Amino acid sequence: MDEDETQKQRLKAAVHYTVGRLCQHIAADCEKQITKQTIAAIAETASRQCDIFAKDLEAFARHAKRHTVTVDDVKLTARRTTALYNYIQQKSEELALNNQELKRKRNAAKSKSKDMEAEENELED
Amino acid sequence: MANAGNEVVFKKETVAKLLTRSFKEDKTKVSSDAGDAVAEMLKVFVEEATRRAVKQADSEDCDTVDIEHFEKILPQLLLDF
Repeated sequence: MDEDETQKQRLKAAVHYTVGRLCQHIAADCEKQITKQTIAAIAETASRQCDIFAKDLEAFARHAKRHTVTVDDVKLTARRTTALYNYIQQKSEELALNNQELKRKRNAAKSKSKDMEAEENELED
Repeated sequence: MANAGNEVVFKKETVAKLLTRSFKEDKTKVSSDAGDAVAEMLKVFVEEATRRAVKQADSEDCDTVDIEHFEKILPQLLLDF
């Protein structure tokens, strides 16, 4: 199971890295220093919190008789604090809009390149 | 390094892998949007943790945020999430 362990370590390192950057950013913003020990503790807590999220999400999806976790499931995990729930609600709406925009642009680009191809083929003939 | 436009986020891949590792069933998957939402939840969690610890350090007149400051705010943080 060495591969598994390696992946676990890699994930922990990735989390630690991002958490470190976030913490430094906020501490600098508040004009404070933050110890490495504290960052490590926050990273560890975040990993554990993610584990709790995962188990909740799986349970919610299962309850809805689904195999795929959706945004609605994630919103449920934010139910305890109203401010958090509203924030995630807002963010997920923004994400949905962004994705729609991206899709539209991609489709526009696709049909453009198809038109150009058709033109080229005509010229070649 | 501190750019106003540069936001620190959790990578989608990392989040997806973290979640699937903790799932009890192999069949359970995560939709792309859900992955983004969880990344956002984690980011808020870390931000909240840091800001509360900073506030605690502040209330104790410390310039450095130490692990004890984090430990003091941890219980309420976990309850709020």
